[in-house]
Amino acid sequence: MSDVLERISKAVVVGDEDAIAKLTRAALDEGLSAKEILDGGLMPGMDYVGAEFKAGRMFVPEVLLSARTMKGSMAALEPLLAAGESIAVGKAIMGTVEGDLHDIGKNLVAMMMEGAGFQVIDLGVDVAPDAFVASVKKEKPDIVGMSALLTTTMRNMGRTIDALKEAGLRDQVRVMVGGAPVTADFARQIGADGTASSAPAAVDLAKGLLGLA
Amino acid sequence: MRVNYQTNASTQFRVLSDDQLEEMFHAVLRVLEEVGVNVHNEEARQILGDNGARVEDLRVHIPSYMVKRALSTAPRSFTVWARDGDPEKNLHIGPGRPYYGPGPTCPNFLDPTTGQRRKYVRQDAAAVAKVCDALPHIAFCESLGTVSDVHPSLGATYEFAEMFAHTSKPIVAWSYDWQDGEDIHKMAVAAAGGQKAFEKRPNYIHYCEPLSPLVGGEEAINKLIFAARHRVPLIFTPCPSAGGTAPATLAGILIQAAAESWMGLVISQLIAPGLPYFMGGVVSIMDMQRAVLAYGAPELSLLQAGLTELAHYVGLPLWTTGGCTDAKVIDQQAALEGALSVLFAGLSGGDLCHDVGYIEGGMTGSLQQLVMMNEVIGYTRHIRQGFEVTPETLAVDVIHQVGPGGHFLSEKHTLRHFREFWLPQLMDRRKVDDWEATGSKTLGDRVQEKLMEILETYQPPALPEGVPAQIEEILAAAEAREAE
Repeated sequence: MSDVLERISKAVVVGDEDAIAKLTRAALDEGLSAKEILDGGLMPGMDYVGAEFKAGRMFVPEVLLSARTMKGSMAALEPLLAAGESIAVGKAIMGTVEGDLHDIGKNLVAMMMEGAGFQVIDLGVDVAPDAFVASVKKEKPDIVGMSALLTTTMRNMGRTIDALKEAGLRDQVRVMVGGAPVTADFARQIGADGTASSAPAAVDLAKGLLGLA
Repeated sequence: MRVNYQTNASTQFRVLSDDQLEEMFHAVLRVLEEVGVNVHNEEARQILGDNGARVEDLRVHIPSYMVKRALSTAPRSFTVWARDGDPEKNLHIGPGRPYYGPGPTCPNFLDPTTGQRRKYVRQDAAAVAKVCDALPHIAFCESLGTVSDVHPSLGATYEFAEMFAHTSKPIVAWSYDWQDGEDIHKMAVAAAGGQKAFEKRPNYIHYCEPLSPLVGGEEAINKLIFAARHRVPLIFTPCPSAGGTAPATLAGILIQAAAESWMGLVISQLIAPGLPYFMGGVVSIMDMQRAVLAYGAPELSLLQAGLTELAHYVGLPLWTTGGCTDAKVIDQQAALEGALSVLFAGLSGGDLCHDVGYIEGGMTGSLQQLVMMNEVIGYTRHIRQGFEVTPETLAVDVIHQVGPGGHFLSEKHTLRHFREFWLPQLMDRRKVDDWEATGSKTLGDRVQEKLMEILETYQPPALPEGVPAQIEEILAAAEAREAE
């Protein structure tokens, strides 16, 4: 592994947001491609972080800092890609469903997915079924992620899936749902493709749904 | 007669000094004025704006004089009444009188008979109420669940109907929105004998929550306005997690929680000056491995004590938290975490301590945990009362009488005082052979037996004549409304 890739990995692991842009430029100056930087520097760093997290030696705020550091590098790489080319492993839109303002769970999943190399478009909170549909048309994501904390608003996940069906878009995306009251039974019932009980599990689910795991 | 002599009438426990509390109080005022809160409710923004708050879009900056005015109109002492007026069951809220009860809205329930985790259903609300009514140290009733087997918009309505019929202890009621809040209020008013009678003797408390950080949601504020207009005692209780939806420092999360709760205080006192109001909070840390709020953490007890002291410093009663656990079943962890938070809630004196019976970090409600904690609450109460120091209790005379080498068992002094000892109901102090002879039962076994005994034999006081029919009408009208 080239020295600069190893330094990029380390910067991701320790969450050195200040150094990452400079290191990314240095790697490009050495003639490495965006894909080589991602596969040889960023992803090994995030893989290490993921393993440390699972082992209980790293904690959520540290993982998020690493994910943000990786995103900083990705931002420097994006402009160099040819039109239509992407280094993201997949694209997801995410939002808290209509009537619900709770967003920490959704934000956590979004950040963790970015850390795993996904491009995430966050629609925010209180997102109506129509807004999900419009975003799917515009962004053509691989994954739609919905979050709800309340047993009342949870029902709007099913309504959103129905709206995707009516718009003829349901088959083009994989739908993930999550939030404290959401169970696997409920996810099946409303026709979602899956649910996960924690943010790291949601990342694994997303990878699994796209055949990446 | 003694001079310059102080007596402790209870054990003493304190986390913060007056200076620290003053500093925290002013930090809360700064947050409300300088940062402000987002109020997703037009009517509330209007009320706040008309009374001096600076409103910019959703953001409402509440100046300190409005907060101080609200604090001056909110009472520290008041009574919430048992629906049958049983003097043993009325809650006399005031300094030094902490009460305990369950919590709301767990999606799951440990089946009282099998111990299996399953969805919470309508009949569970009746069982919870019955057990609350029977347990001497559980003073108020909350449902420990969200009813899943009725029309999804009527879960809270049925929950209240079942609880109200199965306990006369004051109920802490939760609702989805204004409409089911109104259904609930009609039932309570029917038993009270009209709105006027209810206002004199309110028999339930309404519970609603802001969102952390610093947001009042549309429905929550709607419900708060309903409660204030109908003079229903109110709890407005945030649930921030340190490091997640609040600062990671313990002083910081308390400041934010107080600001969130006082948003509800100010709105409700503007609508109904003098309305009984509980400052609230479930304040704990986010577990940074699991990204969940920790219900069994030592920080929970420490933070709840700090919040209690802040509430009492400004003259408000506190809705505090204890008797809860992150354990999945009724095991050693459930007993340990539940017992410690019950003890510290008791020592710090939060006025209504809720979430007794929460397991799995609030995802599951358990009557087994509630029954076990009832014993712990009794134990805690006994510690809390401290002991007297008088010539009689110093007992120098009886020590003199018995002298070295004697015994105290047959002394009159012993007869006068031994009944002051705490008498366990579930703890086992027998010799091992006696214990083995009766089946070597663990605490968990004895809790289960006690629970079954209550469910099978206990009869709670019935609703007054005519009220069940009125409740049926209210439920039928609600069903008709939802069928539209």
